[in-house]
Amino acid sequence: MNHNDAVNDTALRQLAERLGTRAAERLDVERTAEAVVTRLRQEPRGAGRVWAAFDPAWLRIAAALVLVVGAGLVARGAFQPAPLSEPALAVPGAGPELSELSAPQLEELLRTVAEPGGARDAGAAPDVGLEDLSAPQLRALLASLEG
Amino acid sequence: MSPAEPVAAVPTDAALIAAWQGGDEQAAAELVRRHARALARFLAGGGAPEAELDDLVQEAFIRAFRALDRFRGQCRFRTWLLTIGGNVLKDAFRRARRVRVVPLDEELRSADGDPHEHAVALEAERRLGDALGQLPRLQREVFLLRAQQGFEYEEIAAALGTTPGAARVHYHHAVKRLKEYLE
Repeated sequence: MNHNDAVNDTALRQLAERLGTRAAERLDVERTAEAVVTRLRQEPRGAGRVWAAFDPAWLRIAAALVLVVGAGLVARGAFQPAPLSEPALAVPGAGPELSELSAPQLEELLRTVAEPGGARDAGAAPDVGLEDLSAPQLRALLASLEG
Repeated sequence: MSPAEPVAAVPTDAALIAAWQGGDEQAAAELVRRHARALARFLAGGGAPEAELDDLVQEAFIRAFRALDRFRGQCRFRTWLLTIGGNVLKDAFRRARRVRVVPLDEELRSADGDPHEHAVALEAERRLGDALGQLPRLQREVFLLRAQQGFEYEEIAAALGTTPGAARVHYHHAVKRLKEYLE
């Protein structure tokens, strides 16, 4: 800080010290004291305590939490994916991976696929999938999975 | 040699607060007498219109007396009272949405001494008041508590619920910006 800064700081501080002095001097302190005591007497001490009991900072935090939770619920509703349609192939207890199926489940799957006019028209699928395999191919697959 | 007359002990703020909490209205009146002018200066420095100063001072005292149960003596009563005054002023601004400025000629009419010097001083104060109005509230309050009221950073920090270091930073930011405004 150079000399000019120090001078400016001093001047600023002196100016700040004077700020509001005249207005404060014109305040009738005795009358203000009487008015405050009268108001304290007239307004019961419990008046407004319900809200006063809550720190404004806590009220702000509570309001912010309500907003965040509300916004979260709205966003969840807006971005939630549409419910999935019925599974194309109902396999009781089947997981997402074929390798997770037990031997009886795979056999059940095999039977379903082997049935003529099964639940799904295999020819409609553009990609080659499990349903495109023939019964011997599926048996071979089952045997390989069983080790 | 006559016995020395007992010196009337001046009750501390803490004693007056305890007396008020025990139902002594005169203790409350004494606290108002003791701190009203400092509070009025703080409010006026923060931009309170003089016409509303009495009402704002009263409101700050009423809020303070109502909230005394929560005053833990973490700082002086006056510092705590001034921060309540800051809240009262903020609410008043919110209601008014604008700061009314006392016309210059009204101030000049009530002036004693050299009218020219008075006008110059008044203009400087008005410019500082305008500049203070441009500051964020925390910077403004820290500046007033430090520069106008003469409190230490530790005291200011305790009243505002911050650290002395942060209070110091707010003060220096305020001074820097005020200088920019006033240049």
